[in-house]
Amino acid sequence: MELLSWGEIILKILSRLMPVWIALVVTFSFSIYFKRNLGLYGKLFDSRIGVIGFAILMFWVFTGFFAGALDWIVTSDPLSQVSGMKNKVPGTPVRGADPGDYPFFLLGGDNMARDVFTRVIYGSSLIIVIAPLATLFAFMMGITLGLPAGYYGGKLDTILSFLANLILAFPVILLFYLLVTPEIVDTGVPQFMAVVLFFFPLVFFTVLLNTRFHTTPRKRTTILFFVVGILGVLYLSVINEAGSKISIFNSVDLFNIDAGLLTVFVSVVFVNSPTTFRIVRGLTMDIKTRDYVSAAQTRGEGPWYIMLWEILPNARGPLIVDFCLRIGDTTILLGTLGFFGLGLESESPNWGATINDGRKLLSIYPHAALAPALSLLSLVLGLNLLADGLREESLRD
Amino acid sequence: MTEIKSNEPEPILEIENLSISFFTRLREIPAVMEFSCSMLPGEALGLVGESGCGKSTVALGIMQDLGVNGKIVNGSIKFKGQNLNEMTQAELQSIRGSQIAMIYQEPMASLNPSMKVAQQLMEVPLKHENISKSEAYDRALEVVYDVKLPDPERILDSYPHQLSGGQQQRIVIAMALMSNPSLLILDEPTTALDVTVEAAVIDLVKNLGKKYGTSMLFISHNLGLVLETCDRICVMYSGEAVETGSIGEVFNHMRHPYTEALFRSIPLPGVDKNTRPLISIPGNFPLPDERPKGCNFGPRCNYFKDGECDANDVKMFRIKGDKQHNSRCMLIDQIDWDAPPPGKADQVSNKIGEKVLEVKNLKKYYEVSANALFSGGNKKVVKANETLSFSAHESETLAIVGESGCGKSTLAKVLLGLETATSGEVNFKGSPIQNIKIEHRDTKTISNIQMIFQNPFDTLNPSTSVGRQIIRALEVFRYGNSDQERHERMLELLDLVKLPREFATRMPRQLSGGQKQRVGIARAFSGGADLVVADEPVSSLDVSVQAAVTDLLMEIQRVNKTTLLFISHDLSIVRYLSDRVMVMYLGHVVEIGTTDEVFSPPYHPYTQALISAVPIADTHVIKEHIVLEGDVPSAINPPTGCPFQTRCGWKELAGKDLCETELPSYKQISKEHQIKCHLDMKTLSSMQPVIKFS
Repeated sequence: MELLSWGEIILKILSRLMPVWIALVVTFSFSIYFKRNLGLYGKLFDSRIGVIGFAILMFWVFTGFFAGALDWIVTSDPLSQVSGMKNKVPGTPVRGADPGDYPFFLLGGDNMARDVFTRVIYGSSLIIVIAPLATLFAFMMGITLGLPAGYYGGKLDTILSFLANLILAFPVILLFYLLVTPEIVDTGVPQFMAVVLFFFPLVFFTVLLNTRFHTTPRKRTTILFFVVGILGVLYLSVINEAGSKISIFNSVDLFNIDAGLLTVFVSVVFVNSPTTFRIVRGLTMDIKTRDYVSAAQTRGEGPWYIMLWEILPNARGPLIVDFCLRIGDTTILLGTLGFFGLGLESESPNWGATINDGRKLLSIYPHAALAPALSLLSLVLGLNLLADGLREESLRD
Repeated sequence: MTEIKSNEPEPILEIENLSISFFTRLREIPAVMEFSCSMLPGEALGLVGESGCGKSTVALGIMQDLGVNGKIVNGSIKFKGQNLNEMTQAELQSIRGSQIAMIYQEPMASLNPSMKVAQQLMEVPLKHENISKSEAYDRALEVVYDVKLPDPERILDSYPHQLSGGQQQRIVIAMALMSNPSLLILDEPTTALDVTVEAAVIDLVKNLGKKYGTSMLFISHNLGLVLETCDRICVMYSGEAVETGSIGEVFNHMRHPYTEALFRSIPLPGVDKNTRPLISIPGNFPLPDERPKGCNFGPRCNYFKDGECDANDVKMFRIKGDKQHNSRCMLIDQIDWDAPPPGKADQVSNKIGEKVLEVKNLKKYYEVSANALFSGGNKKVVKANETLSFSAHESETLAIVGESGCGKSTLAKVLLGLETATSGEVNFKGSPIQNIKIEHRDTKTISNIQMIFQNPFDTLNPSTSVGRQIIRALEVFRYGNSDQERHERMLELLDLVKLPREFATRMPRQLSGGQKQRVGIARAFSGGADLVVADEPVSSLDVSVQAAVTDLLMEIQRVNKTTLLFISHDLSIVRYLSDRVMVMYLGHVVEIGTTDEVFSPPYHPYTQALISAVPIADTHVIKEHIVLEGDVPSAINPPTGCPFQTRCGWKELAGKDLCETELPSYKQISKEHQIKCHLDMKTLSSMQPVIKFS
């Protein structure tokens, strides 16, 4: 078989991505049709920048989902090495391909003779799960600490702000290197950090529901029993791993998270939460002077009800914008970690690691590094544009 | 006026058929429609209307500063014969600030906080005229002297934040006058100021207008202010001018149902909540995109005639016998304008019951340290409340009157348990509550003492539905046993405050200011409150809505026998609805008594000034003119002796030293009436009433 021309490569990639195009068209036509009933999300479609950002983001979300969950789009296995495909240029036909296999390496092969296209696509599915989830955890921690700091002020605020500044002042990469060093992993530090960090969502939801329903004790107890039960089991499963420092909850351990992944997750949450903390603290200080907060105080609401149900919902605008920006930051951070080979296994198809692999032969075979680098760039760009669009539209009437 | 026609001066501003629209992403929203008016040199025109009627848009249209969304779609604005619509940016810039100057509502927002006052003032002539810096400085000094600020050199050398609100607004006025403009636009210039300060600023504006011969376009929602400052008036409603004419004509012989309704809804001296209650305008102000066909006021008008008023757009008609007086009403000749307002059935006021609240020698001091991080340094004490003693009874409305910083909000906080008292006693139904913070109060006490807040746009949580917010209050107050019961009760509460039941699912942003305030009232009464502290509940509402909300409050009080502590600075409304009045100044109660006693002599000198300061929209009222000097002193550093001695005009009569050194004690004038003043009984009883009817 012949080497594919660039036009053919592009056509073939576009056609491989067909499910994504269909999903995008469906999403956009529904959203634009109903945009007047969709609040801020609907308003987003009036901003050109926001629409472009949203389109790029959703492109990667759908790509990641179809590849990760359904094994669509991808053309081969991300880890399998095909002999004779080492450092081959894009569009090279696979030598000795079976009839059922895809006959080309659309974006060429890397220095281990793996399919670059497949690795890039799989990389997106990794990112779209880890980045938002890690950001979400960082937000819960930032919110749970930022609300009381802003609401009470005083000594509590001084202490928490000082700790936040302490974390922010420490070089991030150095911190990661420390956390993933095998000696430190062996002492169980990342695991203990997970114990602390993952406890915050548990606290968050318990307080959230308790303050809301404490006036009707029976309902409260039922809801809390289920929510805390499910979250608790999840929590224990996450922090527990047989054979590690924490292996006392083996009986409830439902699943195991790869130790490297856990470390990456913990570090990302750890360095992201202080920034969220500061934003939430500032917003709280502003909103707590409103009359509806006083109204809640005068009817005898507890401080946590006021923080979580009166203040937090009204801080959501800036928080949503920041959430988008922070996912972008987290994506870059994950790329950086992968690039240095920290955390995730070295052969896993994350973009950072793929870029690092391709880097060594950049001057001769740029395709192996270029494809994941452009992917990373476009995803972060999309998130930033989306954040810009959201900010712009939330201010407009 | 009837002399020689050809000698009529050229109008300085002529607006013809002006239409301004704002363009949103959905549609075009007309804000001003076919607005016409003209102003002669030296004339003051008042532009009156409720919020959203387009009065500020007219002002911005004159300045050609409508932002990105706004556009003049029709008509012309001629200034000294030139059409402002056709001018280039450069030409406009040379006119703005030099020939047309504008004064805005928020003084602090009009001044650049990082520039000294002198610099900001000098900028005006330096930009528009070719003069030297020293000349500009001299001019600034002169103008600052003209706006009656003490120590002009020091003021010029200070930054805006170092001045008080009243002083800042004077600087803004000075800045507008720097290049001697021929037209001055004042957009609610005193709304952000206290009453006594407002009176002084209005006095100043009036005199300066005369001195400089400036024409003034005075935008306000306050009819009383317009009466005091203007020669002519233009009433606007929903984007249209509905009535124009001279002050005397419009105030005494109004020819538009909206103007008439407006006057009937404001509390003038003489109205009383039981014998002659206020008449509110039914319905709501139409949104710009929901205006009715024909007359905009039609749906709310008592004289509305089907087929006539809603047939075509209504034109301005000239009133017979007066060439200046115009009205946009189809039925001018059919309505009997002299008919008395439809009488409401006399309400019998509730018998005032037993004592519910008793406050004895209440003191509240705050400690503030200069620096939060290194506390322990020099701590300052703010004396927010000083030995307050009063009581309130069942079914009684006790008004607490005073300007900002007088300690009324602190008092409310102590009553509600958000703060504890420094010393003294607060007894609610016999049990002391002064030291129990709200966390430790039992549900019964909390639901019994509730509050209504001032700012309707802030009183409801914007992200929770109306019904949910009321249900939450019911939940916290442990009302009912099931969600069903609470939901039912919530609907009843909506009925109580006269809101449709569908509002339960609405979000606060879908409600108007008055509707939000009603929800706030429903929430306060959800636990069957016995004592309600209403902190200026109607002062941020439009005049026509104020009457309705006030009425509602009175009605609920009548039914529930609630004790109402009505905090306000608006003496007209206080006189209208309260049984007793307590006047506060710098944390002290300076006068307390029944409403009639407080509003008639003998007065405390501060009460006297306060009554005189409130503008009254009635041409028959003659007021004694008392203007207070200076501002309210800071509570951190209160004056020695009598708190009011720094601004009091009676000091000489009482013995100056006495006032400056010794805190006066209460003088018992009658059983209920007490005055905290050094003046002897003879001087006090020689005082004349401030308000007289001609």
